[in-house]
Amino acid sequence: MRMIGFSSGAIAYGDFRLALDMLSGVKLACLELSALRVSELENLVEALPDLDLSGYAYISFHAPSSFSKEQEKWVSDILYSSVPEGWPIVMHPDTIHDFSHWRRFGKRLAIENMDRRKPVGRSAQELHSIFQQLPDASLCFDVGHARQCDASMTEAFLILSNLGNRLVQVHISEVNSASQHDPISHGAKLAFQQIARLIPDNIPVIVESKVSAPQIQREIQQAIESLMSRVACMA
Amino acid sequence: MDALEKLENRTGADWSHLGNARHSALQEQAAITTLLENFSTADASIVVVGSLARQELTAGSDIDWTLLLDGISHPQDEKLAQDIRAVLSEANRKQPGREGVFGTPISSHDLIHHIGGQDDTNANTTRRILLLLESVAVGRPDAHSRVLNNILFRYLDEDRGLWFGSNDSKVPRFLFNDIARYWRTMAVDFAYKQRARPDGGFLLRNTKLRMSRKLLFLAGMVACFDCHTLFTSSEERQDFYREKPLEAVVSRLRSVLIQPPLEIIASSLLLYPEYDGSIRKLFTAYDGFIGMLADETLLPNGLTKRTHLDTLDVSKIEGDPTATEARDLSHRFRDAIGEIFLTPDTQLGRLTIEYGVF
Repeated sequence: MRMIGFSSGAIAYGDFRLALDMLSGVKLACLELSALRVSELENLVEALPDLDLSGYAYISFHAPSSFSKEQEKWVSDILYSSVPEGWPIVMHPDTIHDFSHWRRFGKRLAIENMDRRKPVGRSAQELHSIFQQLPDASLCFDVGHARQCDASMTEAFLILSNLGNRLVQVHISEVNSASQHDPISHGAKLAFQQIARLIPDNIPVIVESKVSAPQIQREIQQAIESLMSRVACMA
Repeated sequence: MDALEKLENRTGADWSHLGNARHSALQEQAAITTLLENFSTADASIVVVGSLARQELTAGSDIDWTLLLDGISHPQDEKLAQDIRAVLSEANRKQPGREGVFGTPISSHDLIHHIGGQDDTNANTTRRILLLLESVAVGRPDAHSRVLNNILFRYLDEDRGLWFGSNDSKVPRFLFNDIARYWRTMAVDFAYKQRARPDGGFLLRNTKLRMSRKLLFLAGMVACFDCHTLFTSSEERQDFYREKPLEAVVSRLRSVLIQPPLEIIASSLLLYPEYDGSIRKLFTAYDGFIGMLADETLLPNGLTKRTHLDTLDVSKIEGDPTATEARDLSHRFRDAIGEIFLTPDTQLGRLTIEYGVF
């Protein structure tokens, strides 16, 4: 059985308390707390000691997806000092201005593969050059991004084949042509199943689909089915 | 050093015409990339095919391009293609006709979904196979790369025999059959054009059919065979295919097909030093063909060899020295292919015999 959970940002944007309320009745093993906008970062890290996260076996933290060069050291410092050591910190590689601020995180930093709007980090080859700069970093594999970049899932295969030893977490959702995270469609599910065999069962999965509270359980089920390999589906 | 260069050294040959054509093609690809710098996007690649993509560029070569669209349709797409044409015209590049198979915007949908059946028109087949066997993106390659992966996915996913067949041979037959069909289509269309365009072009078209078109088929065939040959044992091959690793085979084929056709064939023939005599004959004939097209020396009639081939009346072919030279080259090329590929003594030969005809 896969360990699965939701991203707070997907269901409640920057309102992480609302997200925790929405998820409280679902009993999920995993959670990603996200501060996608840099303005949300301070509030979230200050609140961390007071949040009841005891029900989660795995928690990750999504760093802001955009900040200026001037803000970079501050963002790096606050993440380094305030996010618990055991939590992976998910990072979009295109936000990085100066890699020297991020090497100290070692494997705590989970570099995410990007959607096709972004100029870097979309393919195995592009990720490889990021990991040359951050040799100890981990990988957060966004299967929706990978499908948006290559619907045949060949690029997803290449990322997982070449960088699977770094894999620490998976993001899952449908990523539409405007690069928004939608609920997982049947077509996306079929594509995800193609490469599901390459994602070990013990890797935590975070759902990023933008859904309302009543849709959470259904979306979890869609994610579980999406990550059943074709062999399992046929059985 | 690339495979062709290794073979050139190994066989002690001189294929300088091929080297020059390659050098010219790479320079021209870079020049066109610069000219069209702002035209490609993540969803629209400018793709060149033909001699420019095959790295066989000579002075009289056309620039066969297409605007390959793989994303949201925009009303501006047609205008974008017109502007590309204008930029290339301004830069004095010879282009395909406006109503042709190339030189227009084309959508990925037909290329991916219409393989076989009534909707797979001659133009669609041509675009698809040339995209697979001899295409290069100038500018952003995103759409080009996605479409190639998706086309290969179609061929492989539906090839039941490849994954579940009892035959030990692992050649993607659906893909191979389409490549073979295209080769035969080109041959049939040659006869059609002979009737439809009686005014000229026969000999140049005929020579291209016997040389560059045949080379393309050969490269496609060898690429398909690589799906079988790139294993050290039958057990390793069976293990690999057992769980239908579709994306791995797509990736493998892409890494082969990213090379120009000459290089695909040369890479494969590196493994057969015992055939070096025939290998030398094959590439020397092709080098001679490219040399003929590139030769700007004027014949006594004031024409280059290329123009002479393009304009010579069919009734005057017999005894014409340039026509004889072209025919002799094509015969040497044909004979060398036969010596290498139509023998049961090599894996390549056995696969050709098994798949090439029936």
